[in-house]
Amino acid sequence: MKNRQPLFHVVKRESGSPGRQILAYVAAVALALVVGAVLLAVQGVEPLTFYKQMLTMGIPGSRYPWRAVENFIKLFVPLLIVSLALALAFKMRFWNIGGEGQFIMGAFWAGVAAMNLGESLPRPAMVLVMAVAGALGGGVYGLFVAALKVRFGTNETLLTLMLNYIALYFLQFFAETKADWNFFLDPESARPKFAKFPASAQMITIPIGPFNLNLSLVIALALCALIFAYLNYTKRGYEIAVVGDSPNTARYAGMKVGKIVLRTIFISAALIGMAGAFHVSSAGVMSASPTNDVGWTGIVVAWLAKLNTVGILVAAVLITVLQFGCQTASATYPAIDANFANLLQGVILFIVLAADFFTRFKLVRRGGKEAVK
Amino acid sequence: MEERYAIEMRGICKSFGSVAANKDVNLNVKPGEILALLGENGSGKTTLMNMLSGIYKPDSGSIFVDGQEVSINSPEDAKRLGIGMVHQHFKLVDVFSAADNIWLGDDKSGAVLKKDRYDVIRDMAKKFGFDIDPRKKVYNMAVSEKQTLEIVKVLYYGAKIIILDEPTAVLTVQETVKLFDVLRRMKAEGHAIIIITHKLNEVLEISDRVAILRKGEYITTVDTPSTNEQQLTEYMVGRKVELNIQRPVVEKTRPLLEIRDLTIKNDEGALAIDHVSFYIRGGEILGVAGIAGCGQKELCEAIAGLRPIEGGQMIHKGDNIVGLPPKAILEKGISMSFIPEDRLGMGLAPSMSITDNMLLKKYDQSKGPFVDRKTGRAEAKQVIADLEIVTPSTETPVRRLSGGNVQKVLLGREIKAGPNVIVTAYPVRGLDINSSYAIYDILNRQKQDGVGILFVGEDLDVMMGLCDKIMVLCHGKVMGVVHAHKTSKEELGLMMTGALDLSHKYEDKPAGIAKDSRIGENEEVEE
Repeated sequence: MKNRQPLFHVVKRESGSPGRQILAYVAAVALALVVGAVLLAVQGVEPLTFYKQMLTMGIPGSRYPWRAVENFIKLFVPLLIVSLALALAFKMRFWNIGGEGQFIMGAFWAGVAAMNLGESLPRPAMVLVMAVAGALGGGVYGLFVAALKVRFGTNETLLTLMLNYIALYFLQFFAETKADWNFFLDPESARPKFAKFPASAQMITIPIGPFNLNLSLVIALALCALIFAYLNYTKRGYEIAVVGDSPNTARYAGMKVGKIVLRTIFISAALIGMAGAFHVSSAGVMSASPTNDVGWTGIVVAWLAKLNTVGILVAAVLITVLQFGCQTASATYPAIDANFANLLQGVILFIVLAADFFTRFKLVRRGGKEAVK
Repeated sequence: MEERYAIEMRGICKSFGSVAANKDVNLNVKPGEILALLGENGSGKTTLMNMLSGIYKPDSGSIFVDGQEVSINSPEDAKRLGIGMVHQHFKLVDVFSAADNIWLGDDKSGAVLKKDRYDVIRDMAKKFGFDIDPRKKVYNMAVSEKQTLEIVKVLYYGAKIIILDEPTAVLTVQETVKLFDVLRRMKAEGHAIIIITHKLNEVLEISDRVAILRKGEYITTVDTPSTNEQQLTEYMVGRKVELNIQRPVVEKTRPLLEIRDLTIKNDEGALAIDHVSFYIRGGEILGVAGIAGCGQKELCEAIAGLRPIEGGQMIHKGDNIVGLPPKAILEKGISMSFIPEDRLGMGLAPSMSITDNMLLKKYDQSKGPFVDRKTGRAEAKQVIADLEIVTPSTETPVRRLSGGNVQKVLLGREIKAGPNVIVTAYPVRGLDINSSYAIYDILNRQKQDGVGILFVGEDLDVMMGLCDKIMVLCHGKVMGVVHAHKTSKEELGLMMTGALDLSHKYEDKPAGIAKDSRIGENEEVEE
């Protein structure tokens, strides 16, 4: 047999330092942007100007720069809350991919509250009622799956996935059915069309000069800190970690695993529902497809950040800049549309995963001991 | 003429990062020879063998097969060279039949599953003298059957050099005897066999030569007939070791835990424990012997409150503990630690730190909503110091530790909680001599402090040395309780297979019921 050796072989690194990991991620994003630049250039778009417009989100030179920031926040808040909430479930190895459905249910019940109580309640109370209604709506929708899993050992991935579509068509039924009982629709319009929420059901904003700070951003950032503390320092967070790591060990330590799963999934789904409530409240009107895919993008964000709360904050900003920036930048270029953001997002995810590999392993060249990367 | 080796390794070095797993190792096996590879946990035995089977590549050094230098880059290369490895954790597809598992890895089989595969495999197995049912699904097989299948598999692929990684760790005494017969037959047919183990009596029984590794370094190779346990241990550990297990005599107290007529069902709904009665006094170690899977796990789980019982009584210091939640039983001072076959499954959260694992059973005792990691860290430090646990820090995830250290963390935590009854199953599973003795010491110290210990074990020699009494289970029934210093391995073996039943030996004294029982007569009549 001839002495044949492959050119490289894979060797495990000692232990990835956090510095190296961050560096790898930054390099990965940069590399993804280079790939994107090539794709842009092929379509005859000047990549640098496009990127400049994308990263600044069209704010400089705009007549209403603050409006751009406000719109950015409207995209950012749902994604951040949903990602945080999903991380909570994922930490427990509960594969909640029903963010879409829970979000829709949250939006739906917040809408029910807004259309029926909007006239009678003052604004702060109304926004609070919508948040609670949304949280309960989303929470119960998630709790249903958790209960089935705890009681009958069903597969949560399948159930949450399928409930997404049920929620979506449930909402669409209300969006398209013109009838007297359908309080969602605008009675003035001949075609089925969602009516605007009453003024008191619009999200509270705090005016800072010309800029209106959306209250939901403050709440989302506070949630970020709360969840960080919850997961890392509280007994509940400890239970989540143990159940996620080894349910047998949790049971053996006297934990009530079923109760922990129910509680955690309720919290996770309720947060997602609340994000849905914030979203429709900020928009001021229902929509037949309110999610903007946060249920899916949230999964990407949570895993990009490896379920780390601070990482989720960073990743959510990055992804929102990408989506919102592409949206604004593509307005100037007919060849590019907002889907480019999705493409770039995919490339980034792919390269970050590859970079992850290189933080944990290295390639060693044939014969020599020298590390290639 | 120069002697021809079936396989020879010269100057093999392999490191992972800065850790050298193998340093300048030399090894050779002749055809028709059994070589035992001996070393403590983490001495690089498995790494070395993985280089032969193509899973790792040596950093330097050379490997010769039949005198030809070869380079093994993948398991396929190893297969082509006639090297077959039976791993400690079986590499089988659970939902496939025996034949399909073999067929799967066969290059010549093509893409179509042919009907005659069952016959082909059956004939092949018969030729080598194995008894396997080619249609049986792997998930229906006992551990020893799976192992047989693995061996048949490597033989089917034409292996001339067969490596077995701790094959006896999961086998009973009788199964081990059978395995050794198989190995001797393969040896007679001219196969070269390398067997990794750290059970010295087995090394002496089966091997022709013994190669010893210590901390990745090659120490020496000795001829088996010219050596003994003491010498091998010294090579392995690097210093003189006392090989006698201590059995301190402690004054026994009244029974701490009494089990009367206990009946438990297993997950499939069959009887796992069948009207079992026994008791544990403070200051004694009661061993539980039995063939794997004859109710040990269910018994431990029932005592810890993790498994509902069908009938019977469990009395702890006079209080009934039947039906109590696991937490309440913990609070009574009954500690249960069960080391499952994968060694991490129960009792530890593997990806969490030592600190967090210390807190597992008491995290909710601190005041307020937060976990008290300060106490946990202090306890982790103390346990690390007390039990000489090798770890970079208290924040290291438990799964990064080696087997012995993992088990020390588990036992350390249990003892820290100050239990009065310790139920421990397989605490030395997979551990080397040094770590095992450390664990026996820990248990003995607890016994001297008046703790009652139920020790579920697999190694009869150890149990006869360590325990005060041994209870033998066979298919969920008690075959009798014997004094460890009065019994023999043969007697225990007969009881384990059900051939000898001593439970009705004394007419006047029913087995497993203490004279000074805390269970009142009236209670017994109840139900």
